[in-house]
Amino acid sequence: MFLKVKLPWNVVIPAEKLDANGLMLHKSIVLRLLDDFACKKATKDLGYYLAVTTLVSIGEGKIRSNTGEVLFPVVFSGITFKIYRGEILEGIVHKVLKHGVFLKCGPIESIYLSSAKMPDYKYVQGENPVFLNDKHSKIEKNVSVRFIVIGTKWLEAEREFQALVSLEGDYLGPVS
Amino acid sequence: MSGEEEENAAELKIGEEFLKAKCLMNCEVSLILEHKFEQLQQTSDDPMNQVSQEDGGWGWLGLPLVLFEFHTWPIPWFSVDNPTGVFEKSLQYVKRFSRYKNPDAVRQVREILSRYQLAEFELCVLGNLCPETVEEAIAMVPSIKTKGRAHDDEAIEKMLNDLSLIKKFE
Repeated sequence: MFLKVKLPWNVVIPAEKLDANGLMLHKSIVLRLLDDFACKKATKDLGYYLAVTTLVSIGEGKIRSNTGEVLFPVVFSGITFKIYRGEILEGIVHKVLKHGVFLKCGPIESIYLSSAKMPDYKYVQGENPVFLNDKHSKIEKNVSVRFIVIGTKWLEAEREFQALVSLEGDYLGPVS
Repeated sequence: MSGEEEENAAELKIGEEFLKAKCLMNCEVSLILEHKFEQLQQTSDDPMNQVSQEDGGWGWLGLPLVLFEFHTWPIPWFSVDNPTGVFEKSLQYVKRFSRYKNPDAVRQVREILSRYQLAEFELCVLGNLCPETVEEAIAMVPSIKTKGRAHDDEAIEKMLNDLSLIKKFE
């Protein structure tokens, strides 16, 4: 699910970037915020950081005595993407393996659908391997699939989420 | 796998961050990200060109200022050229999975769904997946049928009809 969030953030401006001209300072703060935001990638609580949409406010700068940098508390709005257990989503198949398929969904690329979680589908080997069921539904590369999330995992080192998903449920499976 | 055993979107148990955050439908995110992407294409010389304080036209989303883009600015000290790819991947995704493209239609979808006392999360799941039948709608959002809520099948049917009309006239 995409979320609209409002976040406080501390922007640190090095002394040499400070400028008497208010507009230039504003620019430094904005650029620094965007830079920090882009590098952040994701957090456990809010998910992937997509875009800053609004700068709500810039607070009073505080000088850091040891370095001479100035810290500005800012508040901004942005968009994030987080995946929830129990959520029903659509994703795109990007890898078909014997024991299951990998899907991507928004910024998340390691979403695993195990063959155990799609019992009516059978693996069919070939140059382009596919999963087929009796009703000729086909799961192959680049197909959109509607699934339910049964587990999520946050990887702190990579700053990434992984998810396990299932097709066990009504109205789940490939969508045209 | 999940840290909080409690979390289950099907029962609308989705954590505290929802108290602070609002959900967006794929089609809404698509409008915002595409707009930002266009801004980026047009103004590459001075990043401050993208930092406009004016209403970007998305006030109805509660996002009055579509300000700036972060991922491909030709500034030396800012030469992290889209370090994570999160923006591109998300843009591609929402373009593919938006049921409504026209901004007016997108706005109407939210308006219509807002009339049905849905939680933000439920509203967006319905707007994203566009179920065609009452049975499908309940399968996608089981929490709408939980005890004590006023959604009978007729109300859900009417809601789905309203949505399909928007699609028809888009």
